[in-house]
Amino acid sequence: MLFWIVAAAMTFAVCLLLLTPLARERAGVRNSREHELEVYKDQLREIDRDRARGLIEDGEAEMARAEIGRKVIRLSEGDGEETGTASSRALGRWVGAIAVLSLPLVSWGLYAATGSPDYPGQPLQARLDRDPSQQSPEELIARAEAHLAANPGDARGWDVLAPIYLRLGRFDDAAGAFANAIRLDEPTPARLAGQGEALTAAANGRVSEEAQALFSQALDIEPGNIRGRYFIALASAQAGDQQAAERVWRQMLSDLPDESPWHGVIAQAMNGTAEPSEGANDQAEMIEGMVASLATRLEANHDDVDGWQQLIRSYMVLDRQDDAQDALDRARNAYGAGSPEAGHLAAYGLSLGLNVED
Amino acid sequence: MIVEIGHFALVLAFALSLVLSIVPIVGARIGDQRLMAVAEPASFAILGLIALSFAALTVAYVQSDFSVANVWENSHSLKPMLYKITGVWGNHEGSMLLWILILAAFGGLVALFGSNLPATLRANVLAVQGMIAAAFLLFVLASSNPFARISPPPIEGRDLNPILQDIGLAIHPPLLYLGYVGFSICFSFAVAALIEGRIDAAWARWVRPWTLAAWAALTGGIAMGSYWAYYELGWGGWWFWDPVENASFLPWLSGTALLHSAIVMEKRSALKIWTVLLAILTFSLSLLGTFLVRSGVLTSVHAFATDPTRGVFILMILIVFIGGSLALFAFRASTLTSGGLFQPISREGGLVLNNLFLTTAAATVLIGTLWPLLVEAVTGEKVSVGAPFFNMTFGPLIVPLLLAVPFGPLLAWKRGDLYAASQRLFVAFALALLIGLVTLFMIDRISVVAAFGVAVAFWLVFGALTDLALKAGIGKASPSVMFRRFVGLPRSVFGTALAHAGLGLTTLGIVAVSTLEVERIAVMQPGDTLDVAGYELRFDGLVPFDGPNFTEEQGRFTYSDRSGRERGEVVSSKRFYPARQMPTTEAGITSHGFSQLYVALGDRAPDGGIVVRAWWKPQVLFIWIGCIFMMVGGGVSLLDRRLRVGAPAAKRSKPARAVEVAT
Amino acid sequence: MAMTRKKKRLAVIGGAFAFLTLATTLTLFALGQKASYFYTPADISEKGVAPGERIRLGGLVATGSIARAGGTDVSFAVTDRIETVTVSYSGILPDLFREEQGVITEGAFDASGRFVADTVLARHDENYMPREVADSMKARGIWQEED
Repeated sequence: MLFWIVAAAMTFAVCLLLLTPLARERAGVRNSREHELEVYKDQLREIDRDRARGLIEDGEAEMARAEIGRKVIRLSEGDGEETGTASSRALGRWVGAIAVLSLPLVSWGLYAATGSPDYPGQPLQARLDRDPSQQSPEELIARAEAHLAANPGDARGWDVLAPIYLRLGRFDDAAGAFANAIRLDEPTPARLAGQGEALTAAANGRVSEEAQALFSQALDIEPGNIRGRYFIALASAQAGDQQAAERVWRQMLSDLPDESPWHGVIAQAMNGTAEPSEGANDQAEMIEGMVASLATRLEANHDDVDGWQQLIRSYMVLDRQDDAQDALDRARNAYGAGSPEAGHLAAYGLSLGLNVED
Repeated sequence: MIVEIGHFALVLAFALSLVLSIVPIVGARIGDQRLMAVAEPASFAILGLIALSFAALTVAYVQSDFSVANVWENSHSLKPMLYKITGVWGNHEGSMLLWILILAAFGGLVALFGSNLPATLRANVLAVQGMIAAAFLLFVLASSNPFARISPPPIEGRDLNPILQDIGLAIHPPLLYLGYVGFSICFSFAVAALIEGRIDAAWARWVRPWTLAAWAALTGGIAMGSYWAYYELGWGGWWFWDPVENASFLPWLSGTALLHSAIVMEKRSALKIWTVLLAILTFSLSLLGTFLVRSGVLTSVHAFATDPTRGVFILMILIVFIGGSLALFAFRASTLTSGGLFQPISREGGLVLNNLFLTTAAATVLIGTLWPLLVEAVTGEKVSVGAPFFNMTFGPLIVPLLLAVPFGPLLAWKRGDLYAASQRLFVAFALALLIGLVTLFMIDRISVVAAFGVAVAFWLVFGALTDLALKAGIGKASPSVMFRRFVGLPRSVFGTALAHAGLGLTTLGIVAVSTLEVERIAVMQPGDTLDVAGYELRFDGLVPFDGPNFTEEQGRFTYSDRSGRERGEVVSSKRFYPARQMPTTEAGITSHGFSQLYVALGDRAPDGGIVVRAWWKPQVLFIWIGCIFMMVGGGVSLLDRRLRVGAPAAKRSKPARAVEVAT
Repeated sequence: MAMTRKKKRLAVIGGAFAFLTLATTLTLFALGQKASYFYTPADISEKGVAPGERIRLGGLVATGSIARAGGTDVSFAVTDRIETVTVSYSGILPDLFREEQGVITEGAFDASGRFVADTVLARHDENYMPREVADSMKARGIWQEED
């Protein structure tokens, strides 16, 4: 609303500014000949000055004076002032009226077509200062990041941010945030296990040695730490010791209260590890599985350039060049020749040494 | 709300500029004073509205309001405040808004200082300014609106192109635009004169200060751009004959010609038609420059993301304004009466020679710049015209002009004496020759070109000094009288001398760098040394460093002179801007007198060393110092009292009386 | 007097005319000598370029083709997705010189058929594709502008 008042005031002020000269009756203004005469007089004065300074010779000065004199004579032969006739005055009034009227019409019409009058400004600081309940997750993160950029030593800030990163799938950021909290404050079991979980997630579920060390450290401080126990068991399962893993998990199932969400997680893990392929922990097979699921997904939904690229690259890594070529051709067909995506994929394929001729 | 107020102000300014482009002209046509009187308040209001609009956009940048698409695309919350502000015009939309702001400011200045102009001329001039403003406002609103919004707003911006995150962006575009747009005033005066069908003596006096101001700003803008490219790109070059550079150089050449022909017109009422044509051409070349830079029709090392649809729009503006004004010129030029006669050897003759050379040189540069477009349109083949072409054509054309410059101010109006002028310049000539010979035998025994170039440069400087000395009456009066006369010389005499001497200094810098520069390139490990023109550069190693929105690896170098004494440190770095995933090179530069040692880092070599490129740039700073001289010369001329034409007093008798004054 | 004035004027006009003729000749001569033609790798295989002729070669930097030969020498392949030309260059590559980025090189083929560039241009802006490269690749239907 305030916007419209300001806009109306601006329009009104500008119209008023135009109306003022239009309404005023003017005396005849000096005509251009007088201006010209003024210039000639000034030039004569300048000749005198130059003459006095010795910048020009006497003869040169006389010639110049004579020339200006001739121009002045020619000037005086012209006639006097020009004033408008009655009919032109009427025309002038019409032109003035139309001009003033056109201002609000053109400006409001054009603005209505292009502007966003109801959209308030969004200064970043004001957005970050808003009540957190009204902020989007991105804003919450940006807010926490801004806070931490200003106070990098705030371990509790990292505690808040780390799980959010984890939930959003930004695993590397999450691991970094947990590590920061540990570095700045102290290694609590929650932070250690959190970092371990983030690392594991970042490694597509594989519990690395670094993560194992973190979980062990968490268990040293708090022997009952659920995450620590679960992931250490997962690590032994991935290492091939299925029985040890199941022993721990069974124990955990009986220890945990019935309403704990971990029941489902553990049950899933136990089912999963029952399958031999996972138990064998063959990385190539894991990739094959991922590739197969990616291929199925892309079969259902063609429109994912990154997915296609990932698939093609995976085939190349697995040394299945024909499949890669096939995937590339299918992807390009799916987008249609000449589409930007197809061009993009062709470029990508070319960079991997695939054939992009049709 | 501020953003939308800014947007609305822009729209209102457009509506108002439509009124401004029509009403005063109708008023001048039918002799209605009230309609003509609309021009001034409308010009002020447009200036106020566009300033408001520009301020609103600036506020959006300062506050990192990412709901404005333009801010989101070109800013980042972590960017230093200076670059948040300069980022306003570090992109297409914002820079067009700056362009229009400066245009409106010039309109406002004409309205402010225009009380001594004939009423109809003033009304017409302001109306033509209004037309230009209307065209560009429509362009901005229709195809490059800086106030477009996005919802929901992103949380972080995409940052300004790192190359532009430099103090150069704060100075270069505003100065350049002051120059480009300043010539719009000359254009408007020319078109207004053609509309009226007459040009009086006040016209040239009025056009000259605007030309001077625009020319001085453009000189500064080009020089600043050149220095910026020199230190920011890390290539060690200061001029590439690139289309974008040519685009700014073309109006400078024709503007320089205009500056000189306007003198003739003012003093002698001669060359009227030519001056009007030059005024039109100069602004047309400014518009062409804007078109070339914005549309990306030519490949340029300075091109940023461009958009062909915008190019088409600017092309339309170009055709309407250039075509319209030239048609008006063809139709009306014959009504302009021609003025005083003069001998070929005279001040006028010298200025005509200047115009002939400058416009021919401009034509050559224009042909070279547009040739690729032409060839592609005709044969479909793609051609590029680079530095070799321009050096081959522009050089031979400009050298005779440089040789002739010192003669000009020494010739009398109407009928000059070349022999007498030569005698007076003998000392300057002898000194320049001597310095040329010294260069040949003492500094560089090989390059005759270097010796000749240095001699020409000093010939210009000494020629300018000779002019001042003669006008102060050297040899004719006692030192105290001479001093008094010297101080009392018209400002424009100093302006001329400064600008001509500046031209000499720039020539000196160009010649020295082009002929005597030393370039070395090597792969260096920490501890390695490199000999560059007698300086020993030692690489101390790479040190990581974190900036506000970038990280960098600083290559640290120590250098010592011939005697082995350490002279200082040079730091050259490779920066990385994560927001745009973009690396840049920051050259390390140190000055010694007017020469510079310039070090740039290249890529890492496989064995862990780093490619280092180092230059010794002798007297390079004179290139830009000369430009500063020219700029100051323009400014000093601007202060000449002659250019402050008085308005006729309110009560005045008929002109008849004035005849007596003349006889 | 009138006669000499007329003669003088004629001389001046004649002088100016001669000067303009000279300038035009020079410009046209220089254009013939110094303008360098733009080629894509496919153009070269179609039309052929004589060794020593100065040209501009444009395209994309092929992935995995950048090889440093020690010192400041570097070689890389420029491709338009149809043909590929290997370019050798000595000096510092532009900051935005990357794989899959548009690039323009200027130089000539040597007697052994190797393209030796003395200038390598990449853009200041990561979104920018050199116009010649974009046009050529569009004409061949290989690349399209996104958006």
